[in-house]
Amino acid sequence: MTETDPPSHDVGAQDDIELRLGANLVHLPIIRSVAASIAIRADLDLDAIADLRLAVDEACSTLITRAVADSTMVCRFTISDQELRFTGTVSSDGDDVPSTASFGWRVLTTLADSADSWVEPSRVNGHGNWVHIELTKRKPTLT
Amino acid sequence: MTESTTHGSRTPSDDYGHLVPLFEEYASLAEDDPRRAEVREELVTGHLPLAEHIAQRFSGRGVAKEDLVQVARVGLINAVDRYDPSRGSDFLSFAVPTVMGEVRRHFRDTGWVIRVPRRLKELHLSINNASTQLSQRLGRAPTPSEIATHLGLSPEEVYEGLEAGNAYHSMSLDEVLSGDTENLALGDTLGEEDAALEGVENHETLQPLVKDLPERERRILALRFVHNMTQTQIAERIGISQMHVSRLLARTLDTLREGLVEGAKDD
Repeated sequence: MTETDPPSHDVGAQDDIELRLGANLVHLPIIRSVAASIAIRADLDLDAIADLRLAVDEACSTLITRAVADSTMVCRFTISDQELRFTGTVSSDGDDVPSTASFGWRVLTTLADSADSWVEPSRVNGHGNWVHIELTKRKPTLT
Repeated sequence: MTESTTHGSRTPSDDYGHLVPLFEEYASLAEDDPRRAEVREELVTGHLPLAEHIAQRFSGRGVAKEDLVQVARVGLINAVDRYDPSRGSDFLSFAVPTVMGEVRRHFRDTGWVIRVPRRLKELHLSINNASTQLSQRLGRAPTPSEIATHLGLSPEEVYEGLEAGNAYHSMSLDEVLSGDTENLALGDTLGEEDAALEGVENHETLQPLVKDLPERERRILALRFVHNMTQTQIAERIGISQMHVSRLLARTLDTLREGLVEGAKDD
């Protein structure tokens, strides 16, 4: 299923966790803590927990710098048996996705098992586009 | 002078009483009077024990004592500069809150607003140790539930300990234990690692930022993002804990990100 109206009104499956907060860098510590808490409770290994925390931080700061002033960022965490997925979305005046050649993207792709970013036109009156970043971190296969 | 004060029941003002007239002199001197600097220095030096005392009161909370003393001294200098004897209150009742305010602000800025309960600190420490042991045994980082089993704790307790480490941003004991960068093998040269970042956008902005990083941080950055080592592997290589690697890496990325934003503004 693809989301077409990102600041979503449904919180998908019951286990999904969604955070909505001002697209402002001051909130990063909260998102980091939530990301770490969720990863800890999903029983990822300590490396994966630390990586996810940094990756979410990186993704959110990338998004926030693109967000329209005073807008809202939506962060969603989805936990499945295999992986933990994070999706962050902001509304932006621009229509370019974060560059995959940037240092930040390099950081993201190293820290997460997969990273993706895309832009779609916003249906909400006013601002142009939704910018999304999605990351996944696989649960460890324990040996 | 009061060199004969006994150490028993002296009140703070006895210690500094001899300095009181200096404040009046200080206040009476013109801005450009060369004597001003001398008097100011004498006042600051004379009150240094006050800064020490206040720093002492806040020590043992995870911030190095020397740092606290430095911060308290800055507060003291501010207090000397701002004190106005004509307002009638004595210097100490003005200086103590000023200096304490400075120290508190330092705690707030470094993330130690809340005193971490000893139990949590110990829990954090034992989790840290367990994680190191388990990593060696398993050849990878352990999960929280593996740590719980190892320590005979409930998963909830381990979660709490791990979260405490995150929330309090603890410069926990390993910061102290691992000391400085002396135990680093300086084997790998950093030149080739810089080259690996060549393809990255803003390379010109990034490179000096990376160069400015402390040796150890630069190395951790390279091992993680160029050599693609896990934090546990890096921890083992460098001889610090994984949690410590995690904190240093977070701090480094923050620094670089800020630097890149600054750089973009200058363009």
